[in-house]
Amino acid sequence: MAPERGDGAWDAGRVESPVDPVLAARRLVKSFGKVRAVDGVDVVVRAGERVGLLGPNGAGKTTTLLMLLGAVTPDGGTITIAGHRLPRSRSKAMAHVGFAAGYLPLPDRLRVREVLGVFAGLYGVRDEKAAVAEGLERFEVGHLADRMCNELSSGQRTLVGIVKAVLHRPRLLVLDEPTASLDPDVAQRVRAGVLDLCSHDGTALLVTSHDMREVELLAERVVFLVAGRVIADGSPAVIAQRFGHDDLEAVFVHLAGGGALPEDFDDVIGRGGPR
Amino acid sequence: MSWQRIRTVVRRHAYVLWRSPNRWFDIAFWPLMDVLLWGSLGTYVASQSPASRAGTPYLLAGIVMFHVLFQTQIALNTGFMEETWSRNLLNIMVTPVTELEYVAGVGMFGAVKLVLAGVTLTCTAIGFFGFNVASIGWSLVPIGLVLVVAGWSIAFLVIGLMLRFGQSAEILAWGLNFVVMALSGVFNPIAALPGALQPIARLLPTTHAFAALRVVLDGHPLPGGQLLLAAIGSVVGLGLAVGFCVHMLRVFRRRGFVTRFS
Repeated sequence: MAPERGDGAWDAGRVESPVDPVLAARRLVKSFGKVRAVDGVDVVVRAGERVGLLGPNGAGKTTTLLMLLGAVTPDGGTITIAGHRLPRSRSKAMAHVGFAAGYLPLPDRLRVREVLGVFAGLYGVRDEKAAVAEGLERFEVGHLADRMCNELSSGQRTLVGIVKAVLHRPRLLVLDEPTASLDPDVAQRVRAGVLDLCSHDGTALLVTSHDMREVELLAERVVFLVAGRVIADGSPAVIAQRFGHDDLEAVFVHLAGGGALPEDFDDVIGRGGPR
Repeated sequence: MSWQRIRTVVRRHAYVLWRSPNRWFDIAFWPLMDVLLWGSLGTYVASQSPASRAGTPYLLAGIVMFHVLFQTQIALNTGFMEETWSRNLLNIMVTPVTELEYVAGVGMFGAVKLVLAGVTLTCTAIGFFGFNVASIGWSLVPIGLVLVVAGWSIAFLVIGLMLRFGQSAEILAWGLNFVVMALSGVFNPIAALPGALQPIARLLPTTHAFAALRVVLDGHPLPGGQLLLAAIGSVVGLGLAVGFCVHMLRVFRRRGFVTRFS
């Protein structure tokens, strides 16, 4: 039997680590008008851990990510990154975080080498040229260095976006839909590069994706959101098993289609108001 | 404050200017056209009534100094808008760069653009009309500083409005300085304005700056009292504009408006 967290959400198969979390967000709450987008969400990522943040459309994933990145102020809750509390120490916290999203373009009118140099400077990298060359090499896109950003394909842009996010060797890499609309071979390169980065540098990963197979490949642990609440937090295999399915995709389809939770979830998903 | 991050912001905008011919309009084309327009008008007025004070020096000195305000303001505003146009705002917001560092970087690059525009204005005025604004002397420095501060005030006001209302407020980046131009008596004393507008004009620090400029052009010493009034007004205006912008930034983060730009 998997242990349950204090807030009642399912905590399947999680192994407690003595290492301090690189990201600790507790009881996050965010409303837009009368809509409660995020309702008491906890997200904890330990050093070197790879975590998937999942949920159907409107579950509150992007709002949660934007709060974790300091771009949106939560109505309630606390966020600490690498020991720095948001929003007061946002600048210090962000020095430890890299962010890339499949939907975010790179600035126009700059060459790839220039845009990476600019972001290396913004992240305070001392040897910008070396960091840019190493990042491009790591993701095998060195040949794009002198291309204009607006000339890149979506796959190339995603790879360069991830290079941009890891130039400063962050302790936490946050990826929002990193392989959305990419060809399978490019998506595979992105995943391989990210896994290589995490294993070599010990970088923690927080990733959202609608590709459940990708999440099973990338993430050791999954935080499942539905209607702004965490309904499951555990390893992909154990979560799938508890829902009586073979994999995460079946669980996702089940939940996105309004399917019922297992009996021991009823008290969590149906509860109204902030916890 | 990180000097490296400020320098990087300057570099980012230097790349954009270098690669964007349309951005040279602000610092080359419009100054050139303004000098031609107002210089020609001044020459015509002078030929019709040689005793008139509203000749070429008034108009050219007015437009050159107005560009100090305009260039300062538009550089800060287009610096911010560049991030919204290229949907780069979220990318910037999740880096360690602080708001102050970003503004400092864009402001510094704005100073470079102001110098470039100043060179265009000065050379054009000398070349076409034999008018050298530098001949007015050191009095231009304090007047120019007041106009720089006024330009920043308008820029912060516009950025605050863009944070709150999105890209639909962009038009104010170009629109508000025309309001200031019309009400500040850039080329003429505000006594020439419709009576109802004169009290509003007197509230603007720019009105007192341009009035001081005309006093100097008439060969009198710099009117210290008027300049002080302009300086106090512009500093108060900047404080209010920055306060408004900071408040709007809080609203922007609280209401999740970043998604409008990404």
